[in-house]
Amino acid sequence: MSYLIAFSIIIIGFLWQVSLDGVQRKVTAKVHRRVGPPWYQAFMDIFKTLSKSSISHGFIYDFGVMMALGGTIATLMFLPFGNIVAFEGLDNFFVIVYLLAVGSLGMAMSASGSGNAWAGIGIMRALTQMLAYEVPFMIVVFGMIHAYGTSSLSELAHVQQMNGILGWHIFTMPLGAIVAFISLLGMLTKVPFDTPIAPAEIASGPMVEYGGKHFGMLILQHEFATLVEVGLFVNLFLGGGNLLEYLIKYFLVYTLVTLIYSVSARFRVENVVTYFYRVPIILSLVQTAIVIFTGLGVNV
Amino acid sequence: MALNSLLLIGLLAAPLTYVLTKVNKKLGSYFTIFSTLFILIFLFGYMNDTGSIFNLISFGEFSLQLVTSNYGWYFSIIMVLTYFLVSFFNPFWVEKLINPASYNMLYVFSVVSTLGVFYAKDFLTLFIFWEMVVWSSLFIIPLGKSRKASVVYYTISTIGSFSMFFAIMYLYSMYQTFDISVISQNLINSPNTAIMAYFLIIIAGLAKLGIFPFHTWLPIAHGNAPHTFSPVLSGGLVKMGGFVALLASAVIPTSQIFSNHIKIIGVPYENYIVMVLGAISIVVGTLMAIKQEDAKRLIAYSTVANGGYILIGISLLDQSGFAGGMMHIFNHAMASAAMFLTIGAVAYRTGTTKMSELGGLIKKMPVTFAAYLIAIISMAGIPPMSGFASKWLIFQGLANKGLMFMAFAAFFGSIGSFMYVFRPLATVFLGQLSPKYNDVKEVPFLMQIPMLIMSLLTIYFGVMPSHMLTFISKIQSSLNITPITIEGSKIYSFSGMWDSVIVTLVFVIGFIIAALVFYTHKKAEPVDQMNTYTAGEFIYDPESYHYAKNYYAPFERLYKNHPSVEKFYDAIVLRINEFGHLIRSWFFSSNVSTGVFWISVIITIAFFWGDKL
Repeated sequence: MSYLIAFSIIIIGFLWQVSLDGVQRKVTAKVHRRVGPPWYQAFMDIFKTLSKSSISHGFIYDFGVMMALGGTIATLMFLPFGNIVAFEGLDNFFVIVYLLAVGSLGMAMSASGSGNAWAGIGIMRALTQMLAYEVPFMIVVFGMIHAYGTSSLSELAHVQQMNGILGWHIFTMPLGAIVAFISLLGMLTKVPFDTPIAPAEIASGPMVEYGGKHFGMLILQHEFATLVEVGLFVNLFLGGGNLLEYLIKYFLVYTLVTLIYSVSARFRVENVVTYFYRVPIILSLVQTAIVIFTGLGVNV
Repeated sequence: MALNSLLLIGLLAAPLTYVLTKVNKKLGSYFTIFSTLFILIFLFGYMNDTGSIFNLISFGEFSLQLVTSNYGWYFSIIMVLTYFLVSFFNPFWVEKLINPASYNMLYVFSVVSTLGVFYAKDFLTLFIFWEMVVWSSLFIIPLGKSRKASVVYYTISTIGSFSMFFAIMYLYSMYQTFDISVISQNLINSPNTAIMAYFLIIIAGLAKLGIFPFHTWLPIAHGNAPHTFSPVLSGGLVKMGGFVALLASAVIPTSQIFSNHIKIIGVPYENYIVMVLGAISIVVGTLMAIKQEDAKRLIAYSTVANGGYILIGISLLDQSGFAGGMMHIFNHAMASAAMFLTIGAVAYRTGTTKMSELGGLIKKMPVTFAAYLIAIISMAGIPPMSGFASKWLIFQGLANKGLMFMAFAAFFGSIGSFMYVFRPLATVFLGQLSPKYNDVKEVPFLMQIPMLIMSLLTIYFGVMPSHMLTFISKIQSSLNITPITIEGSKIYSFSGMWDSVIVTLVFVIGFIIAALVFYTHKKAEPVDQMNTYTAGEFIYDPESYHYAKNYYAPFERLYKNHPSVEKFYDAIVLRINEFGHLIRSWFFSSNVSTGVFWISVIITIAFFWGDKL
């Protein structure tokens, strides 16, 4: 039964995220004063690339792509989607974060397997950036887990709903929410943190060699990873909610991300690291210290 | 077989190995496989044996005794297993060693000596066997690339040994006994002595485990030891430090002794200081590992970081963190030994461990690559490999107590490990193959066996961590720590549960979906790795195409002027050197009579006023 729920999460998530991706292109276009593609453009991209012929640079190049998509889909199956949880009690924060790394590792392996130096540079930047955004984010959530004694995302979402809207962590832990939102920008590799992709500098970095079905699968992987990452933020800071509330919150967060990235420029990779280790890490430590030592934000 | 006879037979097997190697190099090396297997098989019988006492030697009122315990068994089985698996490499390396006979002898000798450490009933036995291990490994390290490495190893090891020796003698003068259990009973009533004993003993553990500021020997010794001995050093011998840390903090019940002391975030300050050192080594080890150009030094620094995890886990002394620390000992032994073995296999075929000189070996050495891949997934702590189980448990322990700075280090090390473990993967095994390695072959099957077994164990305990944690929970209850809760494949801890089987199953389902998407679409056309997009440049030379040197240059730039404890040590060495020169020029000049004069002066002083000094 739980496997059926998990499958439906994958299907709904796919339809939702990909159409939202198309909508976001429309939003970006409006900011840029263009017309923009239709909302179903993202679907067309995926199905078109999947049907095209592609090249292969050997076994690991194919295997990595499968590992990337497979790992990300597996991660999504554990994420609470609204109030729907496929595997009760297994929506564990650490499990989700580390399973998500399987996807990144697979993609990194596949891109390195192509032997393209641009891809290598892109991977190097992606891993460096990961070190930058992941640590502040995890520290904030660490404080939360310590305070509530649970790392289950659905339970963390549930405890926020007890006090109505003001109980959401975005209001009770504002510093943590800021940190998490900046980290979310980093996770989604959106401008200003799109150093790993950087089309103008390193020819799309890890993506440089991909075409056809490989590329289509990596687009899919990216969409599923976005579902997980935005989903983490919604569950941890906006109190989750039922399916409808969850989707609305998801839409708002994702649109905010789009608005930011459509108007900003790019950081250099070392600036990303210094940036994350200057502002968000201090904010996150302060937030966690507040949570651990005073309990403020947990029991208002 | 009785444990003491096993030990004595093992000690006798060492000279036999020497003779056999003198007769025939290969024969002696195969004998190391046989003898470690022999010990391993008989050791298995002691799995559930606790409290049996075996006498080694008695002299006067002292006697060297062994006692079986479940934590001793846990450590010894990991150690012997590592030795056994690595010994499959020995027959292939004897030709390249300077002195194969003594290598094989010391190899057997050191594994037997570790048994004495883990089963010691009293501190005297512990110390004697501890020194036997140090000395045997001391003579193996210079058989590799550098003789100086063993000097560094010995110096830092000695700091630990002396400190432990001082503690042992101090405790003896207090309680007139060497017996560990008697001493720990006595220490409960005298917390101040316990503080001193704790720190003095744990320094030996820190030095062996390579914890900051004693971590400097690891990259030097691991990087320069023979390729067959580095896995043993990193996977096995370093874990002796973990054993001493366990001894100092859990067997001597520090959570009970220090319970009334000043606490920092709910942890006695003594344990907290040790944990801080562990946290520093995680950060230092990670940052330094990212910088390395040599694969063996890289893994050595990663050992520093993982030593930090083990130390933090053990020092937590709680339900989940302690279990995580204990399990990490096994996971890291398997992962780092496998990494060293694969790099050793690469060096066996190519003759180098410099990452920038390699590349594209996956096509030539697929088994080695697979073993490396599984090892790094485990070391980075990604499910479904066993490394995840221990890291998860350590995180749970930290979250339970709210140790946020430890958590920062743990997260930093965990994410940073992706960076350093990925580097050999990309630069040694992936990318362009240099034409000079065109006729490289996969290593012989005998060398593949240990890599395969280690990979299988890593996967097995990743899917079924509960099988190992059940044993660890026994250790916990015997040390008066709340045992970890396990129910089938579900592992419960403070912040929820985790079911390794379902996680693995879902992962497999995800992979099947991805594979379906992949294989139902048009077949891809295979192309060469030289045939890639290069932004209009034309590159025909695989070596200049391969992106391997200065891999993390932008990141390294951020901390290139970091403060370094090595510089401080170098300064001390310089001063000692100068002082030595001073002594020599004053007292022992080239003129012999000066030396004779000063010696006679000292003898005269000692003779007349010696008793008053």
